[in-house]
Amino acid sequence: MDIPVTGIRTLSPRIKAMRDRLLSSRSTICTERARIYTMAYAEFDSYPVILKRAHALEQTLREMTLFIDEGELIVGNMSSKLRAAPIFPEYVTAWIIDELDEFDKRPGDAFFVTEDQKAELREICGWWKGRTLLERGYSLMSQQIKEIHDAAIIRAEGNLTSGDAHISVNFARILEKGLGGYLAEVAEYRKLLGEVNEQNHGRKDFYDALEIGIRAMESFILRFEKLAAQLAGNENDEQRRSELLTISSNCRNISVNPPQSFYEALQLTWFVQLCLQIESNGHSVSLGRVDQYLCPFYRNDISEGKITREFALELLENTWIRLLSVNKIRSWSHTRFSAGGPLYQNVTIGGQTADGRDAVNQLSYLILESVGMMKLTQPNLTVRFHRNIDPVFLRGCIDVIEKGFGMPAFNNDEIIIPSLISLGVSREDAYNYSAIGCIEVAVPGKWGYRCTGMSFLNFMRVFLAAMNNGLDTMSGKTFCPGTGNFRDFRSFGDMMEAWKHQVKFYAKAAAETDTAVDTALEELVPDILCSAFVDDCIRRGKTIKEGGSVYDFISGLQVGIANLGNSLAAVKKLVFEESRIGREELMYHLGSNFEGIEGEKVRQLLLNYAPKYGNDDDDVDKLLVEAYNCFIDELPKFRTTRAGRGPIGCAYYAGTSSISANVPSGAVVPATPDGRKAFTPVAEGCSPTSGTDILGPTAVFKSVAKLPTGKICGGVLLNQKLSPSTIAGVEQKEKLISIIRAFFETLKGWHVQYNIVSRAILLEAKKHPEEHRDLVVRVAGYSAFFTSLSPDTQDDIIARTEQTL
Amino acid sequence: MLTVFNIQRFSLHDGNGVRTSIFFKGCPLRCLWCNNPESIDPLPSVMFDERLCNRFGECIKAADGRIYEADGALVIDREKIGDPGQLMDVCPSKALRVAGREMSAAEIAAGVEKDLPFYDMSSGGVTLSGGEPFAQGEELGELLLLLRDKRIHVSAETSLHVPWEKVSKYTSLVDMFLADLKHTHPLKFAQYTGGDAGLVLENFRKLDASGSAFVIRVPVVPGFNHSEPEIFSIIDFAAGLEHLSEIHLIPYHSLATEKYHMLGKAYTYKGFADVSKQELVAYADYASQMGITTKILN
Repeated sequence: MDIPVTGIRTLSPRIKAMRDRLLSSRSTICTERARIYTMAYAEFDSYPVILKRAHALEQTLREMTLFIDEGELIVGNMSSKLRAAPIFPEYVTAWIIDELDEFDKRPGDAFFVTEDQKAELREICGWWKGRTLLERGYSLMSQQIKEIHDAAIIRAEGNLTSGDAHISVNFARILEKGLGGYLAEVAEYRKLLGEVNEQNHGRKDFYDALEIGIRAMESFILRFEKLAAQLAGNENDEQRRSELLTISSNCRNISVNPPQSFYEALQLTWFVQLCLQIESNGHSVSLGRVDQYLCPFYRNDISEGKITREFALELLENTWIRLLSVNKIRSWSHTRFSAGGPLYQNVTIGGQTADGRDAVNQLSYLILESVGMMKLTQPNLTVRFHRNIDPVFLRGCIDVIEKGFGMPAFNNDEIIIPSLISLGVSREDAYNYSAIGCIEVAVPGKWGYRCTGMSFLNFMRVFLAAMNNGLDTMSGKTFCPGTGNFRDFRSFGDMMEAWKHQVKFYAKAAAETDTAVDTALEELVPDILCSAFVDDCIRRGKTIKEGGSVYDFISGLQVGIANLGNSLAAVKKLVFEESRIGREELMYHLGSNFEGIEGEKVRQLLLNYAPKYGNDDDDVDKLLVEAYNCFIDELPKFRTTRAGRGPIGCAYYAGTSSISANVPSGAVVPATPDGRKAFTPVAEGCSPTSGTDILGPTAVFKSVAKLPTGKICGGVLLNQKLSPSTIAGVEQKEKLISIIRAFFETLKGWHVQYNIVSRAILLEAKKHPEEHRDLVVRVAGYSAFFTSLSPDTQDDIIARTEQTL
Repeated sequence: MLTVFNIQRFSLHDGNGVRTSIFFKGCPLRCLWCNNPESIDPLPSVMFDERLCNRFGECIKAADGRIYEADGALVIDREKIGDPGQLMDVCPSKALRVAGREMSAAEIAAGVEKDLPFYDMSSGGVTLSGGEPFAQGEELGELLLLLRDKRIHVSAETSLHVPWEKVSKYTSLVDMFLADLKHTHPLKFAQYTGGDAGLVLENFRKLDASGSAFVIRVPVVPGFNHSEPEIFSIIDFAAGLEHLSEIHLIPYHSLATEKYHMLGKAYTYKGFADVSKQELVAYADYASQMGITTKILN
């Protein structure tokens, strides 16, 4: 019997030292990748893009600095120094040049860069001018789409500056076949291609690129074999020498063959995860159902006495440290959308097997325990809930949640599996879904990029345009001529119609934005390794972006969900039903940002006398559902750029996993009829607006469950913040479990995650960041170090309602 | 109609599971330390939270001279206001609000039914609280029948300081009584609560005889009953009751001071420190010796 998570174990000195080293290391910049990619692009300038990228990857993996730090058991570094972020110049250079001198002065997520590196980056970036993904993306947008994008009503900057990802490759298959198996498969399909001709030369190039890429990975792993052996030669400590020799022999084997042990399997998993993130700038590269694909190795090793539980825990913990060593620098504007430097490398555990049995196994417990012990921001741990989940395991999850770093989050099989099946996903695949990145879901190894995370649509800007006859007051432009001015609306029906009219237009605009972005990504930055490891790219001879994946569904993010519902309800009740606020009066005070005593009076009425989403009140919840459904119902009209090219789907669904975008999105929205002041944050995800959910968590659950969750496969994000006392003690924990069960089993909720940190601690950490460097909080669909966040995001987190008893 | 001043969902401390507490207005006792002073008056009460006031002056306009400003402070002449219904929704900031409104049994039932999935999953339910629920009118029975139709578990917090008939007719509709026993000595009881200990003790015997499940709740209040002879006397009485399931000891705290202020009342029970759970351990031990399960609540 496994011991449930209790927290009685302490970290081994080795792991503790690694953890401390990582947490005390500053974020810096590494220019190696940028330099090598630039030189390779110049050298192979005339080659097809896929081969150019294959060579650039090959050269990088061959030349980049390697190191194995003291005590490490799982090896593989991303850049020349711990926590140094590589640069991906082929995606974007404009902001690098513009912000280079500001990297270390950012209010949150600062990076340190030397003067020499600055000079080198300036030179490198100069070469890329006119060649980057960002520039191509903009060039593919129509004038109007570009203006909407510039007006920040729709944002797709992250997609154009960081590439795709939001994917989990087929780790189960990689471990089964080994890299050699993939090479053999590439060779086999290339043979089937026969003679190269006009029709198939693209596929031939793809296979050539795959061969270069996979061989490059093999050589990369063999470089670690040599390095470990070399270090072993110089090592005096007997135990460490033997560890290094084991690392060396592990690397030798897995460079070609399928892994033979849990240790090797975990090491190969990490190498794949690492190389994907050296190849592409995209984030949310996720590990899928780690407990499922690694458990056979673990079970076997345990039964053969090859490994102890303690050593397996150390290996897992070392892997989590590796995950956190991956670092990324984003433009400042994009950083604000994903505050805290998250990489969203999701690990999913629990859930069900293909035949519907509880899939919790020994390794699920180990992963839960090791993540709970580490209390880091990576991996982003998700537990798949279902009604027959092992109750002891579920209690263990609550014990980890109580530690207050926001993990694990729960996704609910009871709604997600049926939704996936209704999209056309096979039953077996649906039962094998995993979370990707934050909370969104896909079938690992079979799904294309970005099951969510396409463009961000700022709902409240759309709402205000609906009140202003289509005029976007921030840009002074009318992108979609409206149905009239609010002051002339005769009934609430006019308001709802105006919203519907605008949101339909912007839904289309968002899809057009995505098409421009996807086209640019396909043409300029196709992924080689990522395509190799996703079914059925090899069989089809296509990259994922060309239509190589089995499934392809995507979603954008709709930001400001609660504000939309609350604004509609306030207008309906106070303006049209009770006439407590006049139409002119409301428009005037929105325009003046509720200035003066009269403005404040109107604002207080809006805040206090209209129903608010999150209180289980149909008078607002139903309006929100109607308004959101209008957007969702538009989605079947749009197809992805892969339509007709192979994958099942090529369609959209809705999504609200809007990371920390609620802060910057709110920063470009004037005052709104829910009583929100101009430029303050909007509500995050599907959570209620901070401070308005006054009836406690059960009412919040009821409101959230009224949303059309079956159609929001991109994620129905709900953050609940509880005070520590709410789950102190066995009885309280049982009560929390019972409300989670009711939310998931009875109400078919989609997701929930918890912040269990007292307000006092957060305030204290804001004041004395130096003493709280390891304080991890849930931001949105992910956790971040609190002290790394900018002050406005910190304030937003502090403001989220703390539900007490 | 029933008069309610709060319906609180996700109450975790008033019985089993996740519960919704219905706070009724009106109480026959006048306990000096009362923690819910807004519950005492059976009629709606005006509460004013200075901290939220934006000085819009809407209440002054609506109150016809019975609310005015003097020396920069808002004066509320509660005596003259009488029925404060007219003030219910006048304050935009809800700094001034009216605690207590009339609700039908059906309206209340519809409200508490909303958390049915959570009661089911946690073996929770509804708790009648107050004020004194059994001081409400006939419609209480209607509410209890509606809750029974929905198979919702019902607990009732009561002072038992009501004529026995007000309780006896509901014994079959209440699953668990949480009844206060504050003191056994008639003089002290009268002095500190304005009530009749004899009535309460007699009702306990009748409740016991009715076969109902019940818990005795003892607020441990310094200056009133926080001594071994006094609490032991309560425990001794409890030990003679056949159907008692548990004793709950509730340590005194003075968190309600602010509410008194909002009601324009003075909190007179001053000078006593909050009681810690630790101080109650000896009482709990004694109860255990007497064979009674005891819990010390927060």
